[in-house]
Amino acid sequence: KIVNLICTMEHNATLEKNNSLEDCPLDEDEDAFQTLGEEDEDINQFNDDTFGAGAIDDDWQEAHERLAELEDKPATARELEDGAVSDEMELLGHHEENLAERLSKLVIENELEDPAIMQAVQTQPPMQQSGGLNSSIWDGSAVLRRFRGPLLTQEMPSVSVLEYAMLQKPPQGQEDERDLSERALPRRSSSPIIGSPPVRAVPIGTPPKQATMPNFIQQILCPKPVHIRAPMQQRYPSPYGERMSPNQLCNVSNSSLLGHPFPPSVTPVFTHLQRAQLLGGAQAGRMSPSQFARVSGLVGSPLTSMNPKLLQGRVGQMMAPASGFRAFFGAPPPPAPPSSQQQHPPCPGSHLQNLRPHPQMFRPDTTHLHPQHRRLLHQRQQQNRNQHRSLNGSAGDRAGHRSSHQEQLRKDPYANLMLQREKDWVSKIQMMQLQSTDPYLDDFYYQNYFQKLEKVSAAEEMHGDGPKKERTKLITPQVAKLEHAYKPVQFEGSLGKLTVSSVNNPRKMIDAVVTSRSEDDETKEKQVRDKRRQTLVTIEKTYSLLLDVEDYERRYLLSLEGERPALMEERKQKICDMYDNLRGKTPGQERPSDDHFVQIMCIRKGKRMVARILPFLSTEQAADILMATARNLPFLIKKDAQDEVLLCLLRPFSLVLYHLPLGTVTSLLQQLANLPQSATVPAPANLHLTAVLQNKFGLSLLYLVLSRGEELQNSSAAMELMQDNQWTELMSMATRELLRIPEAALAKPVSTPSNLLSLFSRYVDQQKLNVLETKLQ
Amino acid sequence: QCFIFSITVNANLTSLPEKHLVLLRDGRTLIGYLRSIDQFANLVLHQTVERIHVGKKYGDIPRGIFVVRGENVVLLGEIDLEKESDTPLQQVSIEEILEEQRVEQQAKQESEKLKVQALKERGLSIPRADTLDEY
Repeated sequence: KIVNLICTMEHNATLEKNNSLEDCPLDEDEDAFQTLGEEDEDINQFNDDTFGAGAIDDDWQEAHERLAELEDKPATARELEDGAVSDEMELLGHHEENLAERLSKLVIENELEDPAIMQAVQTQPPMQQSGGLNSSIWDGSAVLRRFRGPLLTQEMPSVSVLEYAMLQKPPQGQEDERDLSERALPRRSSSPIIGSPPVRAVPIGTPPKQATMPNFIQQILCPKPVHIRAPMQQRYPSPYGERMSPNQLCNVSNSSLLGHPFPPSVTPVFTHLQRAQLLGGAQAGRMSPSQFARVSGLVGSPLTSMNPKLLQGRVGQMMAPASGFRAFFGAPPPPAPPSSQQQHPPCPGSHLQNLRPHPQMFRPDTTHLHPQHRRLLHQRQQQNRNQHRSLNGSAGDRAGHRSSHQEQLRKDPYANLMLQREKDWVSKIQMMQLQSTDPYLDDFYYQNYFQKLEKVSAAEEMHGDGPKKERTKLITPQVAKLEHAYKPVQFEGSLGKLTVSSVNNPRKMIDAVVTSRSEDDETKEKQVRDKRRQTLVTIEKTYSLLLDVEDYERRYLLSLEGERPALMEERKQKICDMYDNLRGKTPGQERPSDDHFVQIMCIRKGKRMVARILPFLSTEQAADILMATARNLPFLIKKDAQDEVLLCLLRPFSLVLYHLPLGTVTSLLQQLANLPQSATVPAPANLHLTAVLQNKFGLSLLYLVLSRGEELQNSSAAMELMQDNQWTELMSMATRELLRIPEAALAKPVSTPSNLLSLFSRYVDQQKLNVLETKLQ
Repeated sequence: QCFIFSITVNANLTSLPEKHLVLLRDGRTLIGYLRSIDQFANLVLHQTVERIHVGKKYGDIPRGIFVVRGENVVLLGEIDLEKESDTPLQQVSIEEILEEQRVEQQAKQESEKLKVQALKERGLSIPRADTLDEY
């Protein structure tokens, strides 16, 4: 008819064109008129269906009432069954076994019976998908929700309903063509891969649709579709498109009630199964390979073989994920497998274990849960199980609140507003967000935090056999780094390439050129400012190097044998670079100027950085740094007044000190006291040293140096002779200063080394020693 | 980076509705049954109650169904129904708690004013934290 229509339309067009011409043969005109007449009829029919009587569905009210009745019925049924929960459980248990058998029979029957239907079924998905794309989650869930009432009440064979919903389309002949043109919405424009990742049929943000499900259902549970479709035919000439309005589905469901092949007692398990299949379908759809790895192993694609044995096994497996529906169907989780499995042999879920090939099945939908939460969940599950069992066991003495708990279980009609499938979908998105190629880069603090925890727990374990807390990490999916060689799309026969920028293929938008100023224009202030900026830049660069160097240990562990020498080389090089940065590279010369270093040390970040770098430097380099610090200490102290960060340097300094020979220590002390190499000029008041003494850091450093010197003196007697003069001089200098300075002005050191007193005792008499002692405290 | 909410699985397991407590960015506390959630943390709360805390007292204002846009959620947690009644806080009527809140806000504003004044006298000015992220 459409073809005819089009032809006639074209014909009419040409007729109009050739109006003036008299070439048109008469019979063509007649035909045209005839077809026009036919057209009118068609149009009328179409209009009627679209806007007229054919479109109105009065029955939705009746359908609704019928549904409402349904809801009432099971409520009463429930009350009757109130005391027989245990029976119910057992029944269901049996039913599952029966179900498995029946399913296997069904499948075989189906295959043998109606290959044509199977074919038809298989051709449906494309259309459904395109329709489904346009339908929103609300359609789907609204539809489902309509039947959740019945689902909960365990009367509605909603499986068949949805299946019928999808079965409506194809065999309608004329309907088909119209369907195709009117209802089949164009596929979402999947643009060629112009700088975009491979486009899926559905954008990533849309919630799962139900297209995946009906297929499976049809293939497994296709109960005599032929005879049931007959009453449906009248309904389908409605132009509502692929989305069945709730009205229609209501009607469908009602009709199915009339002639459903399965006894109602089995239906509760069907609802189970349906949800399991939903889960299975959705999960088999898109999943990242690493997560839910177990699930995919267990569930498998629903569209694969219809081997009844497999099906049986699969059914059993899939029952478990759908266990959310009934607490007592919850599969015992691996973390606590032995006890729970032992505890619940009478549990109806136990037969599941027989079916499952993997006895220790990890509940797939909880893989992504944090371990602590999973524990809580299972605790609750067990609680519920216990409650149920207690109900079973002691029908008579039920605790009051437990029965109310039971009541609540039933009375909350909104409890399962979100389907398991939807929840999993959202969780899946979140898990995808956690995918990371380099967890140390993406989630540094989390990784470190857990490392620390593990260390602590490991340490605890070492000490004794205390109760080991489960500090397992949340298992986040790890994705291997994939290198995509991006090739820009090219059209044949065109010149050049398209420049389209996208997330995966960023393009330069602005040509920003950095122009450096000439030296002449700048005023003194600007120069100072620039210098400071230079220092800041140096600090940043050096910090990056430092972070890299600190990371090498980890990389070393992760790398292969062959790569390690290269890594070491890199590391060494970086350390050298760092040192150069710190001291200021002056090509060719010695390093006379401390300026660069001092500038760095004036900035808080610089000081912290130096403290972190020191452990990596060689002894010489470290000593050099120490010297430079000591030389400029008063200046640094002054600059540090606000920040008070110098103290962070104490620890690394002391570590360095332990490696220094006496000579270095002596010269260090010299620097601290700011004495020229040839101590010719006796300075009555050594300002340098005074400043040092008055500062916490300075004083602590001084003490450290002194104490180290003392250690060295005591240990190596041979050296003593050589260095003695210098050392003694310095010592006397220091002690003099210490004595001179009033106690109030003396800073409080971080720590007072214990051997100082003995050190002083060698150089001063008792009286002064006492004074010193008091000052030291 | 992201949030893992495990209530999605849990909420269905026990079939016993669990109350959730949501803290919003503007400082409001909502308590209700979480019915739906999506990847942006948009929430649908059922039988929601807005709980105002002042000192040791609190008051509940029933709000019905709430749909919260995800970006305004600070945190979301499950309320342990057993422990819920085990609190040192005292529940009062709505009028009373609103009154208390008003008094508290006033006191805060006054102290803030004094602070700003004092700083101004010393020549310092702290830029006013803008309304949204203030607790």
